[in-house]
Amino acid sequence: MNGSVISGKNIYKIFKLGEERVAALNGVSMEVKRGEFVAIVGTSGSGKSTLLNMLAGLDKPTKGEIIIAGQHIEKMSEGELVKFRRDHVGFIFQAYDLLPQLNAIENVALPLSFKGMNKSRRTKEAMHALKQVGLEKYMRHRPTEMSGGQQQRVGIARALVVRPEIIFADEPTGNLDTKTTISVLHLLQEVVHEAGNTLVMVTHDNNLASYADRRLHILDGEVVYED
Amino acid sequence: MRFSDKVGMAWSSLWKRKLRSLLTILGVMIGVASIVTMMALGEGMNRQSMEMIEEYGGLRTVEVREGNNQTAKNASSGADNAASDPTKLKLTDNTIKTIQEMGHVEQVYPTLEFQAVMQSGGYRLGIYGGQAIPLEVLRDMKWEFADGGWPNKGDELKFVFGNMVIQDFEDSRGNAVYWNTGRVADVDLMKSKMFTVFDTEAYYASQNSGDGGRTAEAGDDLEGADGEAPGAATATPAPKKYMIPTAGVLAGSLEDYKEYSWSVYCDLEALEKMYKKVFKGKAIPGQPVKKNGKPYPELFYSKLSVIVDDVENVEAIQKEIGDMGYQASSNSEWIAQAKEQSRSTQALLGGIGAVSLIVAAIGIANTMMMSIYERTKEIGVMKVLGCGLFDIQQLFLIEAGMIGFGGGVTGLSLSVLVCLIINKITGAMTAVIPFWMYFAAVVFAIIVSMLAGFAPSKRAMSLSALEAIRNN
Repeated sequence: MNGSVISGKNIYKIFKLGEERVAALNGVSMEVKRGEFVAIVGTSGSGKSTLLNMLAGLDKPTKGEIIIAGQHIEKMSEGELVKFRRDHVGFIFQAYDLLPQLNAIENVALPLSFKGMNKSRRTKEAMHALKQVGLEKYMRHRPTEMSGGQQQRVGIARALVVRPEIIFADEPTGNLDTKTTISVLHLLQEVVHEAGNTLVMVTHDNNLASYADRRLHILDGEVVYED
Repeated sequence: MRFSDKVGMAWSSLWKRKLRSLLTILGVMIGVASIVTMMALGEGMNRQSMEMIEEYGGLRTVEVREGNNQTAKNASSGADNAASDPTKLKLTDNTIKTIQEMGHVEQVYPTLEFQAVMQSGGYRLGIYGGQAIPLEVLRDMKWEFADGGWPNKGDELKFVFGNMVIQDFEDSRGNAVYWNTGRVADVDLMKSKMFTVFDTEAYYASQNSGDGGRTAEAGDDLEGADGEAPGAATATPAPKKYMIPTAGVLAGSLEDYKEYSWSVYCDLEALEKMYKKVFKGKAIPGQPVKKNGKPYPELFYSKLSVIVDDVENVEAIQKEIGDMGYQASSNSEWIAQAKEQSRSTQALLGGIGAVSLIVAAIGIANTMMMSIYERTKEIGVMKVLGCGLFDIQQLFLIEAGMIGFGGGVTGLSLSVLVCLIINKITGAMTAVIPFWMYFAAVVFAIIVSMLAGFAPSKRAMSLSALEAIRNN
């Protein structure tokens, strides 16, 4: 069970700013094993978000290889990437990004509807995922009727519901207060260790990163050390 | 993504922006309503002109009259020189049979036009284009009667008068009564005794040869009923008079024009019998004679009416009969002209209506564009979560289609209402929505809306997911 789910080799990402070329990623190589909780830590502008976008198939590297769940995603077309994300990847956003016109169940079931699953089945799955994150009582609430912490739990449930091989989280607690942050991080730990998921989290905060099993410290587009 | 899920999503995002959606739908509604109403007005005009043509002798009727040398020369086939056989292009039962055997012909019936002079009281009526038609055909016309009805089969000759014929009576001096005095002649067509002269040539000759005829009328004694007129002392003897009963008068006021209004009708068979009695080997007025001045043994019809199965075939049948050397005429050219005119009117009216639909379509495109800018984030999230690119495009197209559907249905209802009001006010079928328009209007509204939504939907599809989620 401990094979690599993510394997990045020599990833370069170079942006052109006018005449100047800026390297956001400068030859990053990294691996994430199945069932691991990995944090990518760095200050803003360090290239950590760019790396996450590459790994999640939202952006293409200028050079290098990214193999996720056995597939080279750097060569995929946009259509293929969409399908890849739908089948293998879960996402947790900093601002939760729930659809305001949908209630909790419908929000969680949304990725399943993209797969073409029928309504009764995806409702069942969504309810199961919401129970996993402790929101049994808020299933029919709309995002505007929930606190930030509750909304992020819905966001986590939405990532879990597709049973992805990897979950990516971009500053998942960035909009939350300290107390809620801790409870959300505990939940993420639980999700990884008890449910056997793989999680890659990006954060600028070393304290938050300490909840992870392993940390990749990134600076100026390079992994400087891991612990 | 399932189609039903897409519809649900599209619906929920329209619902989320109720007011804006409603205003957009309102635009489409007005566009559709104006197009449909305009087209309905055009259609109403079309129907009215068709009805008018129908009144003037039918849309499917080809009228055939005997051919002459000129028409025979123009004919492209058959029709040898008519001079060699003068009866060749006359209308006989054989002609009827020939035409009946042509395709698309439903019915052929003959008309024999007759002349007569009628006298009643001090009044006189000259009948010039009396119509003798087989009784079955007359009955099939389904005309309404003000009084009486058609004669029965096998009856002696009886006349049926059109509702305006009474205006044609003259007084004994030959002045038109109605046109001079504004009052109709004091004749009850049903009850007054009326004496009819069929040999009009002899009648007018006797009138001109002295004032005997006039004294005859002035006398107007009942003895004249079936005997010689009293003025017989002059060179030309006045012809025999017959008392022909009236079977009925057709319905309608003096101003109410119908195709039958000015005519006198009778059964063809009964008239033929009467003619045999009246003329007995003499030439009948209006009928041709042999070179030696003797009449032909048979009667030639004045015209044949050919009923064609469909308006579309009228022109072809008309041409075919014309090619045989007869004179054939129909309303087909008039119909074609009327159709052409109503087509262009309809196009013009529809075009005026279309302007407002174009404005509505721009409104849709604008609304959708705004909606996409507003939902950039949402679209990005959906893409990150694995929503297919074409699913996103279709979501927006469905939204646009729903606006079109809503606008189409409400617009159609509005135009139905408007047409009802117009018809109520004008008291006629001024605006008619043809049946197909109900479907076409809604489908058209949906298509226009989806076309308007196409560019925005394309834009939504090509939004970069990364860009979309980045702008927090």
